[in-house]
Amino acid sequence: MSDKETVKQEADLTRRNFLKGLMGAAGAATALAAYETLVNNPEGLLAQEDVASPGTVTALSSADDGQVDILERMRAELSQALQKPVADRRWVMVIDLRKCVGCHACTIGCVAENKLPPGVVYRPVLEEEWGTYPNVGRRFIPRPCMQCDNPPCTPVCPVNATFKNAEGIVEVDYDQCIGCRACLTACPYGARTSDFGLTYTEGLPVADGLIAGRLNAEGYERAANFEYGEARARQGRESPIGNARKCHFCLHRIHVGELPACVTTCIGRATLFGDANDPDSLVSEMIAQPNMMRLKEELGTSPRVYYLV
Amino acid sequence: MITAKRVLYVLGIVALILGLYGFYSRLFIGERDVNYGSYVTWGLWVAMYLFFAGIASGSFVIATLEYLFEIPLFKGTGKLALWAAMVTLPAALISIGMDLGHLERIWKVYLQPNPTSLLAQMVWGYTLFGGVILLSLWLVARHGHRSTFAVKALMMVGFVMAIFVSGGVGALLGVNASRAIWHVGLLPAQFPIFSLATGVALMLTIISFFGTMEDAIRVRLQRVLSIGMIVLLLVKTYLLWSDFSMSLYSGVPQNVDAINAVMYGDYWWSFWILQIVLGTILPIIVLIMPNWSKNRLLAGLTGIVILVGFAAARANIVFPALSIPELEGMAEAFSGPHLNFDYFPSLMEWSLTIGVVGLATLAYLIGIDRLPFLKQTPSEVTQ
Repeated sequence: MSDKETVKQEADLTRRNFLKGLMGAAGAATALAAYETLVNNPEGLLAQEDVASPGTVTALSSADDGQVDILERMRAELSQALQKPVADRRWVMVIDLRKCVGCHACTIGCVAENKLPPGVVYRPVLEEEWGTYPNVGRRFIPRPCMQCDNPPCTPVCPVNATFKNAEGIVEVDYDQCIGCRACLTACPYGARTSDFGLTYTEGLPVADGLIAGRLNAEGYERAANFEYGEARARQGRESPIGNARKCHFCLHRIHVGELPACVTTCIGRATLFGDANDPDSLVSEMIAQPNMMRLKEELGTSPRVYYLV
Repeated sequence: MITAKRVLYVLGIVALILGLYGFYSRLFIGERDVNYGSYVTWGLWVAMYLFFAGIASGSFVIATLEYLFEIPLFKGTGKLALWAAMVTLPAALISIGMDLGHLERIWKVYLQPNPTSLLAQMVWGYTLFGGVILLSLWLVARHGHRSTFAVKALMMVGFVMAIFVSGGVGALLGVNASRAIWHVGLLPAQFPIFSLATGVALMLTIISFFGTMEDAIRVRLQRVLSIGMIVLLLVKTYLLWSDFSMSLYSGVPQNVDAINAVMYGDYWWSFWILQIVLGTILPIIVLIMPNWSKNRLLAGLTGIVILVGFAAARANIVFPALSIPELEGMAEAFSGPHLNFDYFPSLMEWSLTIGVVGLATLAYLIGIDRLPFLKQTPSEVTQ
């Protein structure tokens, strides 16, 4: 690399750092404003239900009008729920199909959060089309794990590696799982995938550069994720390679007061999350709506993922 | 039939050599090169596990004809059947073992089991069943053809275990309520019949190719086994008809899709040619003719063809049910390796399976040639 190019790159980096700092300051100011609203006007947290369309919560994008984004409300409710004993929490997810635009941000957010390898997906978005032109319809159906209250996947496990925890989340104990895939077969929602040990970067050429190049990218892929609150790197053929993997509502985030990655990345605020044991929570309001439905209820699985249609 | 044995030795060695790649790939690289995945969760190895485990159960039941029910005609066949069970059970366990993501943790099923899991029950069941087979062989080796109390007691336990493990395999699939084509009460009841049929088919081949008894007895045995085989093939066809017609008539989409995939899907030939024509119709025609069914080569080959048909049938039970998406649009929602509803075994899967077949064939042949108690003498079988 020539000196001239090096100087240019350094200048770019400096500019980038400056812009980053500026954005950080703006973010901090916004957060401060939101915090002040929280302290001074707690009622403002409550996003208003859309009178014209029952079961719809209006997403609020700024604190200017005294109300805050429903994400803030859900985060506050999450903090409240975390004060309760574990067994008193009932985590549910509500997905408003009328708001989902099919951007797949939740899928990608989930992949990034959990560092999912090729062939492993926790929350795909299904697309459905129907009708005949000009009367046609289309909708997008995000499909996380349903965290069923009566899960068909847990009793089939020969070694109790998958189970419903005290909070009602169906977990996988990676060190216990023998990789028989009986749970994958039993799940009526196809919500489990198996880790076959692949990486996105293998087979790519090794190249120099700051972030490009297989070696750097591979390092990112092999870095630990924090599923189930444990820093576990994908190495060799060790777990979670060879295991069943699934959505866990980002338990590791929930436990530190953060919403699941798919909730925070949803650009349309179509995915809601919270404690259904709190009668005042947003999710409790939503699941009481008449336009609520759950997938394959007839199987008796009692899913904890509700859809608003 | 020394020629048949030589041919089988050569085929067994060739198969084992072909299988080395599959074993190497699975043991040293892992499951990266398999074609089953997260949607078609169980593939060729699981089908072969069902197949071999079925033969083991069926062969044991045939052994009881001599050692428990003491049917004179079957004298001298019991040890051959027991050895067949002894060889095919490990073949089944190797096939299913290779399918596990973490085989090294199999001890957990013994020490930290979930007793209500059918899979755990199967592992325990096969362990006990294997123990019963081994003990039976040991007793037979010690006491020859005398059906001692201990042998009879073991045969009774083994008989029950054979029904339990083969029925249990049906239940293993059948309890999945979301897989409509499996979720029928009759599935666990059908599997012991399938198992017995494969046991009879293998015995037909063994007696025809390797039977050293007097010709008159061998011919009678071949005839009896042929008639039994025809009955079992007809029962199996009736059960198939019952399953398919009920499902098609009731029109439950997931059921109909799975059956259409079997009959008219990409692998229609596996159903129509291997399972129906080669595995059912042709054998019935051959075995129903007295002269043909008494012919050593023809009867022996027919047994093998029936086994191929049953292997295809096992595959046709496993794959199509898994090839139907649980939710519409899943196939297109997210793409990646091992996220596919179209399944055809990879080269590595085929290789390993061929290797297991070769291993089982060679083990059987070496056993009947080298193990003293398995050697047959014309005098002992005509006593």
